Amino acid sequence: MNESDPVRDLLVEFFQLPPATPASELAQSSVAQWDSLAMVQLIAELQSVFGVVFELDEIERLTSYAEIRAALARRGAVSL
Amino acid sequence: MNPAPDRFPPRLPESVRDAVADAIQGGSWIKVRRALSAFEQCAAEDQGPEIAVNILASFGIEGIGPALQMGLRCIPSRPVLRFGPLNTIEQELLNRDSFVYTAPASATVILWRADELLADHIHPGAPAAGSPDRQKTAQIESRIRKAVESHLEFSPAPLFVGTLPLPGSTGAPPLGSRQRPALARAIAELNAAIFGLGSLSSRVHILDANWWAAQEGRTHYDLQMDLLARQPFTVAAAVSFGFFLARNLRPLIVPRRKVLVVDLDNTLWGGVLGEDGVSQLKLGQDSPGRVFLQIQRELRDLKDQGVLLVLASKNDELSAREAFERLPEMVLHWDDFACRKINFEPKYLNLRAAAEQLGLGLDSFAFLDDSDFEREQMRTFNPEVLVINDRGHALHLLSSLLQTDAFDAHRITDEDLKRHREYELLPLRNKPAAENLEEFLSSLELQVVLEPVQPDNIDRIVQMLGKTNQFNLTTRRHGIGDLRRLASSPGSVSVALRMADRFGDQGIVGVLLAVPGGEPASLTVDSFLLSCRALGRGAEDVLWAELVARAAAAGVPRIFCQYVATPKNALVANLFDRFGLKRTKESPGATDYVLDPVRPIAFPSWIAVDRKDL
Repeated sequence: MNESDPVRDLLVEFFQLPPATPASELAQSSVAQWDSLAMVQLIAELQSVFGVVFELDEIERLTSYAEIRAALARRGAVSL
Repeated sequence: MNPAPDRFPPRLPESVRDAVADAIQGGSWIKVRRALSAFEQCAAEDQGPEIAVNILASFGIEGIGPALQMGLRCIPSRPVLRFGPLNTIEQELLNRDSFVYTAPASATVILWRADELLADHIHPGAPAAGSPDRQKTAQIESRIRKAVESHLEFSPAPLFVGTLPLPGSTGAPPLGSRQRPALARAIAELNAAIFGLGSLSSRVHILDANWWAAQEGRTHYDLQMDLLARQPFTVAAAVSFGFFLARNLRPLIVPRRKVLVVDLDNTLWGGVLGEDGVSQLKLGQDSPGRVFLQIQRELRDLKDQGVLLVLASKNDELSAREAFERLPEMVLHWDDFACRKINFEPKYLNLRAAAEQLGLGLDSFAFLDDSDFEREQMRTFNPEVLVINDRGHALHLLSSLLQTDAFDAHRITDEDLKRHREYELLPLRNKPAAENLEEFLSSLELQVVLEPVQPDNIDRIVQMLGKTNQFNLTTRRHGIGDLRRLASSPGSVSVALRMADRFGDQGIVGVLLAVPGGEPASLTVDSFLLSCRALGRGAEDVLWAELVARAAAAGVPRIFCQYVATPKNALVANLFDRFGLKRTKESPGATDYVLDPVRPIAFPSWIAVDRKDL
């Protein structure tokens, strides 16, 4: 029933979470591995996969699936 | 810096190699993690020994930890990486209670950047403020040295000290060169001082990060990541740095290969000595001889670093020696080789003999040879020998030599340098069972096409008659007119042999020409020859079996043959004896034979024979 969602899929694989993890649980506050080191690698990964460059101040706020998806959508990299 | 995906890591399962290749190409942390997971799936014995490494840097190196893990995994090894807090190299090394000293370690790595160490030089302020003076550089030198000496005092582990790359974040060169001369000088001086630390102790090694950054170029630097986390690498650069680190640490757990065995023709020089003659060989300052000159220089460097060189060539030894003496541009000399195996025995037997002679195991041997056949045979029969190149062209031979890690070492010992001396020749031993050889030959998927001398191959056959010296029974140098006449005379048999194997098509490599003569209705072999590059596969047996079959079918009662000795064809002195012919006359320089009666014989089982226009 779930349509393939490249942002969710990337986060699930990046943090090595169970494949069925819902998007709503993908946030720094609920994923233990999402520390500052992982954050930097995650930004590099997102920028490389979606072909975008985030602003430095924007990166601070990219701490959940919803924020990341919104930031990618603002650049037209995914649809909202 | 990255190894070519098809070459690395050769000892690991295909699933791992694919995942690593993907990570190298992908520039993606997820792909790096996939590769690391693939390693976890490997059998324990394939994962290599544990290597515990302390890593301290003035920048955020922990952020590229997975890439460092992957590089070290590929040695193979099981890395345990312990990172110090950001920019605390001196604090940690000077503190006897530091984590660096409390747990056993295989190595400690320290990496400074100019950005932290020489911040005043990078942003010197208005010219009026005056540029940082040399005294400041001397102070930094002294700080680095104290940290290194402290590690030497508190830890038995080897220490790898990084050199300083030019900062990635400095501006444009036109004014920069005016505003920051002190920076360029300071980096050069500090790097020279760091290299100097290598002489403090055999436990201090230099990790030339400056060289690495120059190889990677501007693309290794990621300004955004540097600002975000003081982690200055792009993902691709992180992967590359992982392999660079691994290459530097590898000699701690992998001994170097002590012996390099090289071929002559199309390896040390261009061309085939036995066919082209010394004067036609290519070696010199200009292409196409320049690549061979460069190969020889690299080999001499290896020899100077204590690697034993061995020659293994299917050639006539006297001619080879003559080539060494007569070729003016030879960099390597006859005596540069600890042992020479120049004969027509299979090379894998020659290597076994050389190993015995040098008192070393075959696992100390590496092999460089342009021939696909020779390399495949080496891999099959002497799998311990490391084959350096996987293709045969000269440029690839040279780049394989430049890139191989086979001879990496941290130090060259006196013992290494003394090892190079002459060894007594010992007889060959341990001939393998014949069925093994047949099995190997079968694996080559050899195919031959037999065809008569005809307009589309006559030029090649004349060329072969003109230049084949070693496998040549009579060495008759027929021109095109004579050949045409002989091949078309009634009752004659001419067979040209084209050969292909799974490495590719080698074209026409053998010729047998028999003409009526000797006695009525009989045949006499006029010419019988094979190119050097077709030796050892059984092509001569095919040619002979074909002649005998056709003579038998035509009711020929006897076949007369002759071996005419030359200075270069001792290889085939006993060929007709092997075929079971009877000697009828022996005179100086020639032996006459006869096959009587003429009955068909078996073709080699490992060669598929096809006939065209016969």
